[in-house]
Amino acid sequence: MNIYDLIFYLFATITVLSALAVVSTKNIIYSAYNLMLTFFGVAGLYVLLGADFLAIVQLIVYVGGILILILFGVMLTNKVNGMPIHTEVTNIIPASITIGLFAGIVLAFFMNTNWKSVTTEFPATTIQSLGKLLMNEYILIFELLGVLLLIALIGAASIARKQ
Amino acid sequence: MDITIQDYLNILPLIIIAAGILISVVIEMYAKNSEKILPWFSIVIFFSAGYYALFTVNSQSVLFSNMIVTGGTANIFFFLFCFGAAIVSLLSIDYLKKAGIYFGEYYILLQSAVLGMMLLANARDLVMIFIGLEQMSIPFYVLAGFNRKKHFSNEAALKYFLLGAFATGFIVFGMGLIYGSVGSMSIDAIMTKFGDVSTNAVFIIGVLLFIIGFSFKIAAFPFHMWVPDVYQGSPTTVTAIMSTGGKAAAFSALFIALSPFFGDVSFNIFKPFLSALAVLSMLFGSIVAIAQTDIKRMLAYSSISHAGYMLIGVTSGLASGTAGVIFYLAAYTFMNLGAFGIVSMLEGENDTNLKIDDYINLGKKNPLIAGLLSIFMFALSGLPPFAGFFGKYYVFISAIESGMTWLAIVGVISSVISVYFYLRLVVLMYFKEGNEGINPTVSNTALLGVVIAALIVILIGLFPGSIIELISTFVI
Amino acid sequence: MLESYIPIMLVLGFAVVFAMAAVFSSKLFGPQRPNPEKLSTYESGVKPIGTTHERVSIKYYLIAMLFIIFDIEVIFVYPWAVEFRQLFAEFGISVFVSMFIFLVVFELGFLYAYKKGGFDWD
Repeated sequence: MNIYDLIFYLFATITVLSALAVVSTKNIIYSAYNLMLTFFGVAGLYVLLGADFLAIVQLIVYVGGILILILFGVMLTNKVNGMPIHTEVTNIIPASITIGLFAGIVLAFFMNTNWKSVTTEFPATTIQSLGKLLMNEYILIFELLGVLLLIALIGAASIARKQ
Repeated sequence: MDITIQDYLNILPLIIIAAGILISVVIEMYAKNSEKILPWFSIVIFFSAGYYALFTVNSQSVLFSNMIVTGGTANIFFFLFCFGAAIVSLLSIDYLKKAGIYFGEYYILLQSAVLGMMLLANARDLVMIFIGLEQMSIPFYVLAGFNRKKHFSNEAALKYFLLGAFATGFIVFGMGLIYGSVGSMSIDAIMTKFGDVSTNAVFIIGVLLFIIGFSFKIAAFPFHMWVPDVYQGSPTTVTAIMSTGGKAAAFSALFIALSPFFGDVSFNIFKPFLSALAVLSMLFGSIVAIAQTDIKRMLAYSSISHAGYMLIGVTSGLASGTAGVIFYLAAYTFMNLGAFGIVSMLEGENDTNLKIDDYINLGKKNPLIAGLLSIFMFALSGLPPFAGFFGKYYVFISAIESGMTWLAIVGVISSVISVYFYLRLVVLMYFKEGNEGINPTVSNTALLGVVIAALIVILIGLFPGSIIELISTFVI
Repeated sequence: MLESYIPIMLVLGFAVVFAMAAVFSSKLFGPQRPNPEKLSTYESGVKPIGTTHERVSIKYYLIAMLFIIFDIEVIFVYPWAVEFRQLFAEFGISVFVSMFIFLVVFELGFLYAYKKGGFDWD
């Protein structure tokens, strides 16, 4: 067990434990903050996989943006007019059975598959190759993403319109 | 990367719609009465894109480093989406006024949903499927909740969004597993490496998750629970495009992802799963629809059962099944659009006139509308000589060809059950004593849209042979 | 290589240790003699009015949403900007044009939100 394994288990523990806290805690604000730890742990895992750009995206978009949005959402709706919104953990047994089954199936498949291991050099940084890909193979997808984001924006503005 | 003029000409339908979205945004920003201009503008856009797609159906090519294909079945789907959306625009003009949601954004969102469907239909890469799916779904989420003042509409949007996002999660997880086993997102790469991975458990479970995700989108049985509420709560014209174009686009993506499997023995792994989905959807949809009193809910359950019939064609795993499903989708798109169009015409303010009992005596009060609705009901129930009959016929034939006669028999039984609730509406309209029932005022533009849909349904019913031949030449 | 992340790990470790130390040392060493006055809510010396659970305006939500979409857009500009010199040498002006189209399409959305009063605060 080398140092990388240790770091991996550190981040994996952070991710799993905080994810567990997200679903099990009764206070929705705590859930939101635990979600931040989950996102952070996932970012660490991305780094270990050599996906540095993805890790940055995870931090900027999820921790910096989506989580803020979630917190806004919580604060917008929590305890409106002094009436607390009922939050509790329900349906524990069916949920555990379903999740257990799903996890078991996925685990079984992962264990029984002959994974091809390819030795590639650990990339120094992925951002250059991503830039090349965006301008070559994925140029159409790149332009369409512009339209997709435009529509997301218009949809958001349309939902929040005044009339 | 060299892109020639011909390439741009081949993707012209996509460019037209995308440019249409941008121009519509500008019109919406600067024109004072954009809600009057935009419907006609989008009709022009849809019509030109659809017509061009049908015109260039023979120029097949693979473009943008194997990202998309043009021509062939993709263009047939383009035609369906664009003409369907053009009819929906016609229906919407007066409906939006009536429903109190008279805003220009509606048409921008409609155009972007159509762009998403088109991307799903011509994708040649899993990334493209994902982009198309999002491009289609995001406008639908917004459109479902477009009537912000109505609680039902909000409920519809929320349910559709949560379950749709959940389904997208399945699809992306499936794509991840497919990528993990193949090493590429491209359908062509999957086809080349298919021999190595066709027995790989990770690949199989990836495809299975992909099918489950799209079963949400096509509204097949165990994944149907959002359908009645969403179809009922959304504005009726939105339901019309959601239940036709959305379903057709999801089916096209299913065909693209399953295309490496067709003609291979490993497809047998999916057959029990797909046939279970088909049987359950058909029977559940047909039986539960009988108990409905709300016409939108009834059509929602009927849409579940139609998803079942189409899944029979997918289950067969044959080229004839694929062609049959595309034919079925073409017929279904226009007959369902027509049915929802009439519902949207008759609908009063504040969700009134939506009960099946409101249609009593429509035959005496408005013979034209009643006649058109009867055509659509006959077509949906699959009685000859209307379009729906031939759709079912081709799909059932493909099931028999692939040695699953029992599936065709279940399909026939389910069709017989469904005749009851379709024809009950016709009976209520014509053969009911008394004078109760609504007295609708009919919008002319919507009537035009419905008449066009009826003409197309009749045309498909008159020339099924040549249409299926055209489709079959493009299905490998 | 992963070694280049060592400084980040060091900063992270230092931040965690420092934050914990700052919080717990005051609890450990400081005197604690609470009374009702001290425990009451401090609001600039004025007696607090109403609850702390005020409803936040929906406006924040729209702004946050616009921010996230902008965030995602910027993410797509990074790789292009880093690689721009080489891409420009290879493909010429078309690299610039494709990014230009992307940005124009996208900023149209912000212009739209601006025109529709998405940024007004009343």
